[in-house]
Amino acid sequence: MTNTISRRDFLKLGGAATAALAVGQMLPPLVAQAARETGQIDEQGDGFISSMCEMCVWRCGLIAKIKEGRVVKLDGNPEHPHSRGNLCPRGQSGLMNTYDPDRVLTPLIRVGQRGEGKFRKASWDEALDLVAGKMLEIKEKYGPEAMVFSSTHNLSQVQFENLLYAYGSPNYGTQRSLCFNAMITAFLLTYGIEEPARNYENADYILMVGRNMMEAISTSETAELSHALDRGAKLVYLDPRFTKTAAKASEWIPIRPGTDSAFLLAMINVITQNELANCEFVKKYVQGCDDLAEAMQRYTPAWAEQITGVPAATIERIAREYAAAQHNAMAHPGWRTSNFINSFQTERAIATLNALSGNVLKVGGCLSTEVAAEGAGLGAPPQPAYPRISALRLDGTPWKYPLVPLKLGVFQELRDAIVSGEPYQAHGWFIARQNPVSSLPDRQKTLKAFEKMDFIVTIDIIMNDTAWFSDVILPEASYLERYDPLLPVGDKAFLRQPVIEPQGEAKSALWIYKQLGERLGLGEYFQYTDEEDYIRQQLAPLGISLEEVKEKGYAEMPEAEKSEGELIFNTPSGKIEVYSETLKNAGFSPWPTWEEPLMPAEGEFYLLTGKVAQHTQFGTQNNQLLHKYSDEPRLWMNAKTAAEKGLSDGEWVEITSPVGTAHSLLLVTQAIRPDCVYLTPGYGHISKGLTTAFGVGASDSALHVTYTDPISGGQALSQTFVTVKKA
Amino acid sequence: MTTDTIKHKAYLFDATRCIDCRACMVACSVENNIPMDKTRIWVAGIGVKGEYPNLERATMVAHCMHCEHPDCMSACPVGAYSKAADGPVSYNADVCIGCRYCMNACAFGVPHFDYDKGLVDGAFIDKCTMCPQRIYNGQEPACVATCPTDALEYGEREELLKKAHERIAAHTDRYIDHVYGEFEKGGTSYLILSHVPFKELGLPEMTEQPINETTETIMEGTIPFAVGWAAVLTAVAGVSRVINKKKETATAKKEAAPHTEAKQ
Repeated sequence: MTNTISRRDFLKLGGAATAALAVGQMLPPLVAQAARETGQIDEQGDGFISSMCEMCVWRCGLIAKIKEGRVVKLDGNPEHPHSRGNLCPRGQSGLMNTYDPDRVLTPLIRVGQRGEGKFRKASWDEALDLVAGKMLEIKEKYGPEAMVFSSTHNLSQVQFENLLYAYGSPNYGTQRSLCFNAMITAFLLTYGIEEPARNYENADYILMVGRNMMEAISTSETAELSHALDRGAKLVYLDPRFTKTAAKASEWIPIRPGTDSAFLLAMINVITQNELANCEFVKKYVQGCDDLAEAMQRYTPAWAEQITGVPAATIERIAREYAAAQHNAMAHPGWRTSNFINSFQTERAIATLNALSGNVLKVGGCLSTEVAAEGAGLGAPPQPAYPRISALRLDGTPWKYPLVPLKLGVFQELRDAIVSGEPYQAHGWFIARQNPVSSLPDRQKTLKAFEKMDFIVTIDIIMNDTAWFSDVILPEASYLERYDPLLPVGDKAFLRQPVIEPQGEAKSALWIYKQLGERLGLGEYFQYTDEEDYIRQQLAPLGISLEEVKEKGYAEMPEAEKSEGELIFNTPSGKIEVYSETLKNAGFSPWPTWEEPLMPAEGEFYLLTGKVAQHTQFGTQNNQLLHKYSDEPRLWMNAKTAAEKGLSDGEWVEITSPVGTAHSLLLVTQAIRPDCVYLTPGYGHISKGLTTAFGVGASDSALHVTYTDPISGGQALSQTFVTVKKA
Repeated sequence: MTTDTIKHKAYLFDATRCIDCRACMVACSVENNIPMDKTRIWVAGIGVKGEYPNLERATMVAHCMHCEHPDCMSACPVGAYSKAADGPVSYNADVCIGCRYCMNACAFGVPHFDYDKGLVDGAFIDKCTMCPQRIYNGQEPACVATCPTDALEYGEREELLKKAHERIAAHTDRYIDHVYGEFEKGGTSYLILSHVPFKELGLPEMTEQPINETTETIMEGTIPFAVGWAAVLTAVAGVSRVINKKKETATAKKEAAPHTEAKQ
């Protein structure tokens, strides 16, 4: 197994990377005057400024070391609860995103055909006038609903949404349905919250279903799990692949893909049939507790063995061990949970197992459902009422998907509506810090939808694949060059502030949205003069100055009142709804239930996806430091299967799915089920504007078939079946 | 104890905690401004071992061991290496002549020579420095500071050894009962705990005797030996010359004799 980096590999990398070596060699020594005034940096431009990471959505606190006006090192901020002084490889490499030689540093307007990559530089005035003009034209001709807006999970998203709602379009594409729709929808229906918080200090028995915590790193949570394992906590890990988390687990169960819910339902069966649950808790707090045993009766371990391939005795033993750990047992909710169209049921079963262990106790529990409201206590600019929106959403929320929360949506379903023009034709697409060409399944379908567009504008810091197909690209300042709205975490509100001046003509999202808003005649929705004024308005109720926050990196928030009394859940019954009337009324099973997933035909493989520790989705492959320290992307295949097929390690293979073909180098390994292959995600970029990433690896989005879970709207990302042959 | 007051600096690496995320590697490269095609730190170890589904995985973060008795220093003919009293083994590029003896001497394969530019731009051997710019300013080395799972720790060597032995004692089922680097070749300042045999992490088996004690004893004897041997050889040469001379004279006489006989 060659899953490690040797020194020889580095020597092979050679000259291509050295020419572009940019750390510490690119910037004129311009330094924010404000940082001098607060004493964070000295006259030479040397010092330390605290801010927040944006290499993934965990948002660790960081301390940037500045030398002569350039950022030369990032360290974790010990005061931030998400980093506690540590950063993961992506966080450590963050300055290379900022100093990427491929940065787009001026507005660009397309001059060639879409996808040719021919652009000309433009001034901000010209580019913004063009974008606003096109958006007004579309609104006038076809109505505001003909503009699609999409953006993902970032601190300025509140102002993106402001632009969207003020403009009046219902069409909002988040990438959440490609990620955690199954988890959030299931926990909202069961517990009345999106995602319970985990407390590993109280966890002795942890069940993780494909939550690859050691590679899909959330710095503080990965650390907490690791510390719990040091202490002796038991981790049972279900995954068809022997990941780095599997290697740390007490027990790895290489379950058949798509059958996790059968395993979990059988655990519930064992616990309820043998009355092993936390009786007192369940009777008091769980809706449906009296009938649960009967509803789960058919899901015996013997039944689950036939489906999952896991011996009944193993399932029974794990169920008993889990129950014995009582409220110190945790079934982890997961993160990217949209794997199969039955993933909602998997999440419902996970929620039920947690309910049975009674682990949401106020004291000593390992899950917490008391999550503080985001942004409570902070101010905001005055907000006029939005225009009424009457048009249907093109992604089918909620008219096709009644249980999917509006802010999640069903992103992948947008394209069929765009291509078919039903229920109406969309004409423009406004994309901010998102890359639908790479993120959505079935890349060809996304490009087909693009062809239907009169106008596409993308805001990003590099020429990602979506920008490559856009008409206008607006260059955003990187996360080390700009302000974003404050982020409350616990009893502090943390600040992202510029640690260096923006390069070129890059601008913050807050500035771009306001400029566009004003040009669209929506200036009243953007009542802040600049980024600092926006944050001052946020800080106003706290009576803290921006200067103080800039220096410390955060503002202390008044302590949220902790409720003393009984646990109350934000569900119709006020209890944990293992039995859900809401689901029943929508025409779905009120109980967690087994739904048979599709199975590959003879000669086909499950195409698995899953993160590597060095990359975030498809956005970081052009970061030279991460490129340097990540393994070459390959298609994993079990050694026995490869031998049967006459394929050997390191040779080129052709991967074919119902929607596309890709070529990859093969990795022959023991670390995967014989009926699965795994492709390192996020590679195979189209854009030649990504000089480091272009030509590296194969695209998983070119292979993924669009399958949508009818309940949660989640895209089933592991339900694509492929054939593999010598290329 | 702040990092400045540590008298004998060392790292402790725990393979059971390492998740092979490589944050340490990126941190090292950024902190020390390492060229994109070079590194001072890498992953060693077997990776995945076994046959599906009975698998285990072991990797180690490898960089300079900062030996108590450094072989690189011992082998260097120009004194480009030095061992500080408080732990770090340092390399001075200004003195280096690029002979690469250190590369051959190091049992851990740490120093490497840049063949691309070594002959043109001058010698280039690079290795871990223990981040003096950080440790003498109250910070941990870059690799240690960022490690999310505390697989890498930094501190007083004695304290780390104590911690390592306590960890083994608390989890005898988890660890090999040995701290690599405590005694290996006289001790190193990179101490390692593991759940798999150390050779599976790419670490060579070592005696407790420092290699350079043996080699230096031998090397120290080379000059007297050479001088002595030279004297012996000179003596042998002298004696053989005398003998040959005598032989030659004898032969000459012998050769002359038949001639005389022939004349007769």
